[in-house]
Amino acid sequence: MSAETQQAAGVIHDLGYRSYDGKRLGRKSIIAALTWHSFRSAFGFGRSAKAKIVPVIALVGLCLPAIVSAFAMSRGNPRLVDYDTYVPVLRDLLMTIFVAVQAPELVSRDIRSHVLPLYFSRPIKPVDYPLAKYLGFTAACLVMMEVPLLALYAGSIANVHGGAQVWAQTRALIPGLLVGLMWAVVLAAISLFIASMTGRRAFATGAVAIFFLLTYTLAEILLQVESPPDVSKVVPGGPGAPPGAVHIVQGAPAVIPLAEKVSGLFSPFTLFDGVRMWLGATDTGDNVPKVGGFGAIYAVILLIALGACLAGLAARYRKATLS
Amino acid sequence: MNNTGVTSTIELTSVSRWYGNVVAVNDITMSIGPGVTGLLGPNGAGKSTILHMISGFLEPSKGTVAIDGKPSWRNPDTYRSLGLVPERDSVYAFLTGEQFVRATAKLHKLPDIDQATQRAIEMTEMSDAKHRKISTYSKGMRQRIKVAAALVHDPQVLLLDEPFNGMDPRQRLHMMDLLAKLGAEGRTIVFSSHILEEVERLASTIQVMVAGRLAASGDFRAIRRLMTSRPHVFSVRSSDDRTLAAALVNHPYTNAVELSAKGLQVRTSDFGAFCEQIAPVAAEQGITIRELLPTDETLESVFGYLISS
Amino acid sequence: MFNPTVAGLTLRATLGRRRVFLFALPAVILIVLTLVLRASHPAAVVWPGAVLGDFGFSVLLPFTALITGTGVLGAEIDDGSVIHLLATPVRRADVMVTKFAVAASLTMLFAAVPELIAGLIAPNSGKLAVALFVGALVGSVIYSAAFVALSVLTNRAIAYGLLYVLIWEGVLSNLVGGARILSIAHYSLGVANAIDHDPNLRAGLTLSTSVILGVIVTIGALVLGARRLAAFAIKGEPA
Repeated sequence: MSAETQQAAGVIHDLGYRSYDGKRLGRKSIIAALTWHSFRSAFGFGRSAKAKIVPVIALVGLCLPAIVSAFAMSRGNPRLVDYDTYVPVLRDLLMTIFVAVQAPELVSRDIRSHVLPLYFSRPIKPVDYPLAKYLGFTAACLVMMEVPLLALYAGSIANVHGGAQVWAQTRALIPGLLVGLMWAVVLAAISLFIASMTGRRAFATGAVAIFFLLTYTLAEILLQVESPPDVSKVVPGGPGAPPGAVHIVQGAPAVIPLAEKVSGLFSPFTLFDGVRMWLGATDTGDNVPKVGGFGAIYAVILLIALGACLAGLAARYRKATLS
Repeated sequence: MNNTGVTSTIELTSVSRWYGNVVAVNDITMSIGPGVTGLLGPNGAGKSTILHMISGFLEPSKGTVAIDGKPSWRNPDTYRSLGLVPERDSVYAFLTGEQFVRATAKLHKLPDIDQATQRAIEMTEMSDAKHRKISTYSKGMRQRIKVAAALVHDPQVLLLDEPFNGMDPRQRLHMMDLLAKLGAEGRTIVFSSHILEEVERLASTIQVMVAGRLAASGDFRAIRRLMTSRPHVFSVRSSDDRTLAAALVNHPYTNAVELSAKGLQVRTSDFGAFCEQIAPVAAEQGITIRELLPTDETLESVFGYLISS
Repeated sequence: MFNPTVAGLTLRATLGRRRVFLFALPAVILIVLTLVLRASHPAAVVWPGAVLGDFGFSVLLPFTALITGTGVLGAEIDDGSVIHLLATPVRRADVMVTKFAVAASLTMLFAAVPELIAGLIAPNSGKLAVALFVGALVGSVIYSAAFVALSVLTNRAIAYGLLYVLIWEGVLSNLVGGARILSIAHYSLGVANAIDHDPNLRAGLTLSTSVILGVIVTIGALVLGARRLAAFAIKGEPA
């Protein structure tokens, strides 16, 4: 001991560390890795079982109509739900819950634990981080939307006979998949944008959920109020009724008033319906806006909203601060 | 300020705390009296857990924690004479320093809120910053305002979890003076730290914790002396090192001697015998001793030995 | 029981900076919507029910209560600053009651009052407006108690509260009649219905049932929360 303490200076030991001068994977790999990680986080993979509860329940819930329909078809009934509308209320509700609970898992957690500088001290551009998060979450939402449709499809073709029937099912499926894509792309953008505003997950969940719910209720009320009475006029039930509950009221159809045409602009879900109507859907279900000639405007507004959310998301991460 | 000669004693009896499979505190029995006691140990040793249990914010899985015989768990009255300075940085950031201390004073239902607030703020040297929002404070200032809030009701017991975190040397010195003064008044002060220098300088008694167990208690020099399994090392400078070395080797208490240009290093297993005998041995040989120092009395070496043993 | 110091701290914390706008926004939307619709449909009978009911009662009220109820105590527990409050001799029950009172008052201010204003603006619905206002007051009280207690019991209070409002109250209690017994919305509706009997309200419980159950839930939540607060432990890694 004394011999060492009486030596001057110090010794640097050779532990075998080598520096790496070889090829490094570039920006694209980082983005890809982060996207994959985000996709997995959206379903709670990589964390405890408790984190997987909500995504699993949402996915299973969304698939239930497909399963029920397959069952019914095996008994000779026609397909119970359409590919493009599916079960509107269920999808609205479960997708709202899914994005409200999972978007904060992707972005708010990183803010809270102050790891943003770790990400941004890698050779990526500031826009790469939100891009990767967005791509990952969109992919996750896509899974949530398309898997039930594919399950419905599988259940249907298992129960129909003949190539023509299968082709008919396939033709009906494609628009449904495209609608699912639209949903995924927009819902991911909106929810990530809202969630990225705060590091507190609970708060972000509340904010996202309230945003969707408030806008939905607003649009529904406007739709219901503005549409003139017609044969199949449906009225949402009063207070205490679930969204989508109906009374049937008699009346006569008329020209679609302007007010009704724009009512659906106030909520992402009705915007989706509006775009669907514009692209030729013919359902007259409750709470679907009758767009008349305004369909293009719905599409434009949707694109503007999408762009605004993505721009906001990118702007939020332009400066890599600690929180 | 207050002390009427009443003192408080904290008693832990066979206290254990576990989280599932992980045992944070393992069968600890200790008694903490008036004065400044330092809870020393590496991170993860269980120091914060002990402090949380003493302050009534964690229930022991086994055993009892009592202050003056009364358990602190589920007992809000404990806080009349107990002040806690938690480690977590969170304070009400939207309040000014003064508002925070004043609110604490009101919650304690003190008879003279203004005077108590004033006193606490002055004691922690926060008078200049008291009108600024806590969100603008540096980390050291936040620590100090937390201490002010913990002192506003003149508590008999003060618990501080890593209090010197984030303080610059001047602030640290001042805080140490404050705590030493409070301890000298007869209060029971317990603070935790993993920095040996802090504990060495301030605490009169230390409790060393390693991996959830109490490894040693008491005065650190006394602890050191108890560790007879390790030899003591002295450095000696004399008029004739070589001869002295030869003389010392003859005695049973000497384990090893080492000669160098700087002097003599003697390893001895019997501290007491060595101290008694070095002078006569040197005198016998006609050697003058110029310097005799124990080289590893500091907490550092105690700690090091404790950890590695 | 009510502690003014705690109340002051809570108010200052909850209403800090930008958050006030978040509370005010839905209320403002409600009133604006009512004004707009009144201007375009001054004589209609159908829309006040939807606006006051679907928007005001079914969305604005529970969600405002959720945000305030979980915000008055949940945020402090979450970042650990509640310990400065609890390291004083103040009674835990007092803390609970005070936080509850603040949450209930804020919810009344930002949900019940706008409901009344909107109701008075809307045509032909004076009686409904008063009924829903009183129902909203009752709802503010019960919801706040439940959500403040929830924020003490779990750190995922907003998520569970959301599930409760969306799924339990939104869907189940209307499909399954028995579930109404456990639905705060139905307690409030029961009271509203007693003031202005309106089949559109679809209230399933009588006044006495609503009041009794409401009181039980409120007091039960406060007691539960206070007991949990009394055993508040610093969560943490063993260190």
